[in-house]
Amino acid sequence: MATVQTNAVAEAARAVSRPEESLPPATCVLQIRDLVKVYPGPVAALQGVSLEVPTGMFGLLGPNGAGKTTLMRIVAGLLEPTSGTVHFNGEDIVADPRRIRRQLGYLPQDFGFYPHLTGESMLRFLLVLKGVQAPGGLKHLAAELLDRVNLSHAAKRKVKGYSGGMRQRLGIAQALAGDPGLLIVDEPTAGLDPEERLRFYRLLAELAEDRTVLLSTHIVEDISVLCPRMAIMHAGRFVADTTPSEARGRLAGTIFQGTVNRERLAEIDRNYRVTQAILIEGRNQVRIHLPEGQPPEGFQASEPTLEDAYLLLSQSNGVGTGP
Amino acid sequence: MNSFTRWWEVTRRECRAGLRQPVFWLVLALLAIIAWTDSGDAVHLYNSEIASTGIWPFNTSVVSQALRQGGILMMIAPWSLAMTLGLVVIRDLELRVVEVFNSTRLTPGEYVWGKFSGVTGFFLLVWGLYLVLAMGFDHIVQGSGGHYLIGPFALRNYLVPTVLVGLPQILFYAGVSLFIGTWTRRPVVVFLFPVVMLLYRFTPWWGLMPQSISETVALLDPIGVFWVDDTYVVGRTTEQVNTAALIPDAVFLLSRLAWAGLGLAGVAGAAVIYARQVQTGVSGRGLRSAGGLIGFLRGPRAAAARIRPQAEPTLADLQMTTRPLGFRGAAGAIARSEIRDLLVRPGMYLCVPLILWIAMARASVIDSLLTSGISASRQYTELGMFLCLLLLFYTVESLHRERGRRMHEIFGSAPVPTGAILFGKALGNSVMAAFILVVVLLASAGVIVHRQIAHGSPVGFELWPFVAVWGGVLLPTFVFWTALITALFALFRNRYVVYGAGMAVFILTLRIPIDERFKSWSTNWMGLDVISWSDMGTFAPHGYPLLLNRLLYLSLVPLLIALSVRWFRRRDLDATGLAGRLSPRPLLRDAARVLPLAVPPIVLASMLVVGGRSGYQGPAAEEWEKDYWIRNVATWEDFRMPSVSHVDLDLDIEPAERSVAVDGAYTFRNHRDYAYDRLPLTAGPWEPIEWTLGGEPYEPENRDGLYVFTPGEPLESGDTITIGFRYRVVVLGGISRTPQPVAKFVLESGVNIDGFEPVFAPVPGYRPAIGSEYHDPPEYRDDFHEGRTEPVTLWAGPGFTARTRITMPEEYTALGVGDLVSEERSGGRRTVVWETGHPVAMFNVVAGRYAVREGEGTAIYYHPGHDYNIEEMALALDAARRYYAEWFHPFPWSVLKLSEYPGYLGGAQGFPTNIVISESEGFLDRSEPGSRGPFAIVAHEAAHNWWGALLTPGEGPGGDALLSEGMANYATMLLFEQVYGDRERMAFSRLRERDHVRFYRPGFSLPPVRTTGGDYHRGPWIMWMLQHEMGRENLLSGLRAFIEEYKAGPDYPVIQDMLAVLRDFAPDTAAFDAFAEQWFFGSVLPEYRFSDVTKVQDEDEWVVRGTLENVGTGRMRVQVGAVAGERWSHEVEDAGRSVVAGGYRDARTEVVLGAGESAGFEIRAAFEPERVVVDPDVMVLQLRRRDAAFEF
Repeated sequence: MATVQTNAVAEAARAVSRPEESLPPATCVLQIRDLVKVYPGPVAALQGVSLEVPTGMFGLLGPNGAGKTTLMRIVAGLLEPTSGTVHFNGEDIVADPRRIRRQLGYLPQDFGFYPHLTGESMLRFLLVLKGVQAPGGLKHLAAELLDRVNLSHAAKRKVKGYSGGMRQRLGIAQALAGDPGLLIVDEPTAGLDPEERLRFYRLLAELAEDRTVLLSTHIVEDISVLCPRMAIMHAGRFVADTTPSEARGRLAGTIFQGTVNRERLAEIDRNYRVTQAILIEGRNQVRIHLPEGQPPEGFQASEPTLEDAYLLLSQSNGVGTGP
Repeated sequence: MNSFTRWWEVTRRECRAGLRQPVFWLVLALLAIIAWTDSGDAVHLYNSEIASTGIWPFNTSVVSQALRQGGILMMIAPWSLAMTLGLVVIRDLELRVVEVFNSTRLTPGEYVWGKFSGVTGFFLLVWGLYLVLAMGFDHIVQGSGGHYLIGPFALRNYLVPTVLVGLPQILFYAGVSLFIGTWTRRPVVVFLFPVVMLLYRFTPWWGLMPQSISETVALLDPIGVFWVDDTYVVGRTTEQVNTAALIPDAVFLLSRLAWAGLGLAGVAGAAVIYARQVQTGVSGRGLRSAGGLIGFLRGPRAAAARIRPQAEPTLADLQMTTRPLGFRGAAGAIARSEIRDLLVRPGMYLCVPLILWIAMARASVIDSLLTSGISASRQYTELGMFLCLLLLFYTVESLHRERGRRMHEIFGSAPVPTGAILFGKALGNSVMAAFILVVVLLASAGVIVHRQIAHGSPVGFELWPFVAVWGGVLLPTFVFWTALITALFALFRNRYVVYGAGMAVFILTLRIPIDERFKSWSTNWMGLDVISWSDMGTFAPHGYPLLLNRLLYLSLVPLLIALSVRWFRRRDLDATGLAGRLSPRPLLRDAARVLPLAVPPIVLASMLVVGGRSGYQGPAAEEWEKDYWIRNVATWEDFRMPSVSHVDLDLDIEPAERSVAVDGAYTFRNHRDYAYDRLPLTAGPWEPIEWTLGGEPYEPENRDGLYVFTPGEPLESGDTITIGFRYRVVVLGGISRTPQPVAKFVLESGVNIDGFEPVFAPVPGYRPAIGSEYHDPPEYRDDFHEGRTEPVTLWAGPGFTARTRITMPEEYTALGVGDLVSEERSGGRRTVVWETGHPVAMFNVVAGRYAVREGEGTAIYYHPGHDYNIEEMALALDAARRYYAEWFHPFPWSVLKLSEYPGYLGGAQGFPTNIVISESEGFLDRSEPGSRGPFAIVAHEAAHNWWGALLTPGEGPGGDALLSEGMANYATMLLFEQVYGDRERMAFSRLRERDHVRFYRPGFSLPPVRTTGGDYHRGPWIMWMLQHEMGRENLLSGLRAFIEEYKAGPDYPVIQDMLAVLRDFAPDTAAFDAFAEQWFFGSVLPEYRFSDVTKVQDEDEWVVRGTLENVGTGRMRVQVGAVAGERWSHEVEDAGRSVVAGGYRDARTEVVLGAGESAGFEIRAAFEPERVVVDPDVMVLQLRRRDAAFEF
């Protein structure tokens, strides 16, 4: 897709990124201030980001390479930033990453396990390391957690025989374990089938009732289902800090949808701000953002989606990331 | 792009990648150090001439270079190539680039061969740099100073060994490493390869193999040096070694090509395996187990997710709470996990049996009784080396595991102290090491108990020696090593770098003991060579430095742990902050934090270094010796002393302080026909020494330890003069610099000192061996024995009377030469006086906490726990005292004593009336029919009271060699025959024959009249054959006359003098002369082979016919026997004499064969012969006796 930035797009982006005007007041437990991370190269993965995360589920949405994982790893105390601060419940995580480990549940984006251990043994080992306790003992707790992530049937199998989805679920089980004050989950639904994804949503939603859950994903549906608040990252910066409904609401009446052939798609792309163009039954279903003026022929007004908002915001930074 | 271009691209890139491989830089650094240290150090060649003369061949000869390059490559190449080529496929898999390669046109063959040629090429480049450095150090640095080890430069001397010995090795190691890595894809298995090569290198029984086997094995040797050694060193003169051209024979060439081919076949095999893996899509971990194979064949399992009801319990129902673990709990959990991981690793199951095997082999390949102390100490080095290697591999793999499994983020975010992670992992691996130790301990206990029950061994199992040696000395090594590897890993965070660094430390450590210049207590972290076990006083000679050494390395552990915790980052550091962290202030802050932990090791290291410098091996002592040599060698080397006629010593010995207060005097008598105006004495650095001359205080000229006395009047012929001395000496004073075994000592465990060297008493004259390791041996003309020959000992003359008064703590029994004339006890101390009536040639003092076994004019003083062989030793001593007196000369003293001393160094010395034998040489020998070591050593040492003491051989070839050591073993043969009968005499003779033929090479071995050093093996055989030639009584009569003629000097005898006397007793002088010509003046060795042997029955008889050929040298009369049945019964008579078995029959004939001659023979027997043997009574020394037999 073409990536020409227009004033209209910028305006739309501004429209969905004004949380101060619309968000309800909340207790901020995680404060990120002016965080910069430069990798050798140099590559600026984070360019002075600041964010305040309250109790509850918080979504971090962004394309690949936006800096989400870098941010997550810094918050988890696994990566030293170049500069900036991170405080959780007032404790400086950058200065002393040990402080966060006591309260952390963490599911990295890319991880593995000891292949020779069974799923149950692996989980029990991690429960021991985390100092988790439960009335029925760790064996019982491990069984229950595996049941929650639908791995009971594979509890006695060695991890090296697990599929990618099973491994992901085992990772989720260990991240949920204990009573973490902060749960960081990085691309948690990757590799999960729809049923497991739904199950995981429920677990996260339950946990988020009384603690902070930081969910990083590039799947918009995860955010729209789970997160009352969200931030969008792009190229090492936050381009939005808002709520899904507000992001959608700001675009009300500006989104139009139509079905076009391939030749016309090029013309639409040249003249309008396309938010999505997907193939349905061999034809291009196109959605455009049009704050003012007449939509092209055959296009009807449509309810804005979070994806529309996300894509517009991503493009507003000047780098096209078409759907 | 064609196939060659793609292969070349891989090769080129891999070769360039070598520049970034830390391993290769380490290898280069190691090789540079080795090139430097080797250039000034002699190649140690096992050659009897070299060993006896102390003359070393040039380092730069092609033979030396071959041995040196072979040894270096063996140490360096297997691990460095395993670390690079062995891991090359594994690393590409970890980096996930293999699948990308597979999608290109690069074929598996191009990939594998490219990797091989790239890495091997770079290694060869590094080796080329080593050769340049070696040539530079040898010929420019050392050669410019005219170093005695540096010969003329020849490029081929460096290149030929590389091509012949080096290249096949390199190709073999490279190919096998690549094959193992590609096949198993497991680093631990790859690292097993260099471990196996180390096992091979350090296998202790190479040197024990008979020559016939070792010749074959030499061809199966990947290093190639055994062949070089066998062909160009053994039996050669130094000149021959220096000028050899190293031309391979066809078989050796084939062997080298085969090893190189094996390596290349490994590469081809790796290519095939890799291609198969690519084809079948097996990536990552390969097919490693049956389970894995089944899983692979079954394909991925379908996830059997069950359908769950919608109403699910919540997480809150689980009532989870969190209470972070403490240090102990976390470390325990991690340790348990590590142990579980180790248990599923196949490497463990390979390594444990390997280590068990080598440790048990090391303990078992000995002739001595296997006591717990001997077992623990003999296994110590192997256990230390291989467990350290294992700990290196497992510690690194363990620290790398989470990152390797991509689990480090989950693991790193757990609320567990970093110290607990490191400690837990170390603990887990230590449990593995402890498990192996326990396995070896149980196996050792099993062997000892089995020997006790099944073979009637008198030795039982004791735990404490294992606890002392393994627990006290070995365990600190493991703790330190694990901490060091952990710190290195925390610092570099790259397992390959840590492997490289660890192996570099390891290899350097193994080389350090070779190079005395770098061997010291402060650097000896592995405790190499520190154990010389004695039941009489464990660790006694070096107990204090050993304690400091162990404390030093234990004290480094907290420092290393602190550094590890600081360096082991669970959080990836920001690269831009590096400059800040490396700036002085943070560095100083960090240093200040760990500095307190560095204080104990610094203090302990300083104590060792400073103590070592001032100790008996320190620079001051070395300087003193050098000054002594430099200042005196030119003036005094050829000075001949007058004889000593009397020695009077008053010794007050304090074992706890290692000190002796000496008050003594030597009386010199001028037995020459010229006067002396100066008399030199060599004394140690024992100042202040109070001297007297003629009873008056005197201040001699002190020439750096050589004290020169100038009497008021010259000492005329026949005159006497007495020199007195008084001082206090600390024997082995201060801290030793290295754990060298000691033979002469004053320790709480015992005392063993003598007058050969200035250990506690002055030595007459100048000692050329002090201060100079190498010296030119004197050259002797063929007629050197004509006229007066000086005695071999510097204590010139016909011997001296001695009075030794010794005062020691009461619990010690102190013995000197001669007979006990008085004994007093006072104030907890005992004073004994020993005096000799008849002159002795040397004096010594030995003391210990002894039990005594008295015999007929004999006494054995021994450690109360060492009574295993006392009866056999007493039998030997009594018999020696009685029969040697009958055969050779009446025993001129009254009691023949024998004492045991702590076995820090093996050995025995037959001092007149006062024999000393190390505990490891007889008291703990294993004795059984056919192998009676305790009897043999007592008989040998006792014989020195006649051959060595009563008759002092003359100086020069054929003197001490045959007339002392050779005759002592001949006397032993006679005594075996006398006491035990033929079987034991034959067994002893066979042992001597085995040891002689091992170093025998036709055309190269020197004849007895030109042999220096000890002729222990051929000498007794020649005398035995001479006895057969001229008759036993004739020979013994001749020997008695010989001793009588020469015992009082002033001409001291060599072989020619003995032959001149014996000739008069020979019934057939022509035969005597012929015998002497070939055996004393020549070097011959018959070797017999049968052919066309048949047996036929002729009525009541069996007739055996055949042909016998002497394919060796020399002409001898030899018996041929037709034999049936086993000769010796399993039963023995009460006295230990062997009994001929009931079913044994033989019939014999005799043939005389010269070199290359053959003759037919016929034997008629009244029984059906089973075999024909040459020399059934073991009467003729010969080569390959086992082949001189024919089985029907």
